[in-house]
Amino acid sequence: MRLLIQLSINGLITGGLYSLIALSFGLVYRSTRIFHLALGAVYTTAAYGMYVGTNWGIWAGIISGLVSAVILSLLVEWFIYQPFVKKGSSLGVILIASLGVYIIVVNLIALLFGNEVKMISSGIEPSFSLEFIILTRIQIIQFIVSIIVILIIWSGLKKSKFLKVVWAMGDEPQLLEVLGLPIFRIRSLIFILSGLLVATASMLSAYDIGIDPHQGLSAILLGAVAVLVGGIDNLWGWIIAAFLISEIQSLAMWKFSAKWNDAITFFLLIFALLFKPKGLFTSERRVEER
Amino acid sequence: MNYVLHLCIMIGIYLILVYSLNLVLGFCGLLSLCHAAFYGIGAYTYTLLVMNYEIPFLLALFLTVCITGIFAFLISIPGLKFRGDPFVLVTLGFQIIIFSVLYNWISLTRGPYGIPGIPRPEIFGLKIDSIYEYFCFVLCVLVVVLVFLGILYRSPFGLALKSLREDEKAAESLGKSAYHHFLWAFTIGGAIAGIAGALYASYITYIDPTSFTLDESIFQVVILLVGGAGNLIGPTLGTIFMILLPESLRFLGLPDTVAANVRQIIYGGILILLMYFRPQGIKGDFKIR
Repeated sequence: MRLLIQLSINGLITGGLYSLIALSFGLVYRSTRIFHLALGAVYTTAAYGMYVGTNWGIWAGIISGLVSAVILSLLVEWFIYQPFVKKGSSLGVILIASLGVYIIVVNLIALLFGNEVKMISSGIEPSFSLEFIILTRIQIIQFIVSIIVILIIWSGLKKSKFLKVVWAMGDEPQLLEVLGLPIFRIRSLIFILSGLLVATASMLSAYDIGIDPHQGLSAILLGAVAVLVGGIDNLWGWIIAAFLISEIQSLAMWKFSAKWNDAITFFLLIFALLFKPKGLFTSERRVEER
Repeated sequence: MNYVLHLCIMIGIYLILVYSLNLVLGFCGLLSLCHAAFYGIGAYTYTLLVMNYEIPFLLALFLTVCITGIFAFLISIPGLKFRGDPFVLVTLGFQIIIFSVLYNWISLTRGPYGIPGIPRPEIFGLKIDSIYEYFCFVLCVLVVVLVFLGILYRSPFGLALKSLREDEKAAESLGKSAYHHFLWAFTIGGAIAGIAGALYASYITYIDPTSFTLDESIFQVVILLVGGAGNLIGPTLGTIFMILLPESLRFLGLPDTVAANVRQIIYGGILILLMYFRPQGIKGDFKIR
């Protein structure tokens, strides 16, 4: 019983990180319809940016992680996605190109830093125990930061017209141009935001468990699964699905072992999509409403 | 000479893989990222059948094809409900699940330790042992598979796939069910990838899960996209180019650890440039959607 509670709390904490990734992936996917696999490279870059920056103190590390993620995210948008979009390439073509970016960046990082796991924090994290639940300091930070970021995104998007523009762009990109909105500036803004979100998740996780060059893709795929399982049109659906996935992974650890996590995630995806192809939290709409 | 023969055998195995992927990606237009999973299922099924039950080669090959085909059939049922990104994600998920099973189900597959000592094939008392014999053997299998696929490509079935690829709704209005055609194409493609897996296992005589990762699936897709999907010549061009490219890098004398990364970086660069300048590949008539 104690183990069960401990595991479900761990799941809740990881769920926060997953929902940041899901938000980051989902914002890009919902607005540009690009299956942004290069986000995996941004994830890895942020963690390595932090790893390098921490030589000058933890705050320098955080700033360098955020900055490197935003720079890479914008570079991908400006030098890869925009030329493709302007050329009128199909989304499948952009997906493959995005995969190419991911492969290049990850292998460059592996060349520079090596393939082994790098630890950012040295030493043992102080831990706190409430009754019988034990939490480390970084876990508490992870949870608080991710909840705050989710709330900021939610309230910010609700207040501003930004979310509406993001949604509209996903539905009718041409219409935005007709309305005179600066479409590529908005896209850049979306990519900055997505870089910041994924960098937050990446750095929080890297500080806890370290980083190796090949972690990015599986992290991003978790986000993608959350977005598709939660329903592409439903921002809260992504977040709920992210928490759901991490809870299930965490509880599965109780019965099986952590090595089955990836298999469980994708089994869940296939299972969920089999019965609810539009996502778990998408309400059915009439054809005329779509 | 042995080195050249080895390269030829690997090209032969990859040709079987890429031509079977061509049926799915080139003819159906479905970007499938789980071909290495079928390759792996084939290799492991063949190995386990031969090592545990001492089944003769041809029967083992036949059973491998059937079992891999069943897996392909099962995954295409949920997968083919979707087109585009969800399909990619479902196949990718299947790839990861299979890798995870091969890696973690240690009592069956010996996991990361791999299975050594797989016997070379023996057909009607004729043992295929030397590399030269094996080369002839792979060539024979390749010819059989290519003739089969060539007939399939040009059959009414293949043409129906092409028309579904070009315009699903229009073809369906003519009574060609996308679901059923794609289901068969996916199953046949997966089953043939199983043959390649069995050949690989019996050639190398050692398998471990790292030969059947997501990277391998991506690599096969890259081969097909470089060569050009949806016809008979493209896959050959792509395979020869992509297998010989890393081998030529070998002569640059890079240290092993660096060489793997440099190779990957070149693949990534090729992908981006190719997608920008020539999304249909060197010789292809189909652009991915």
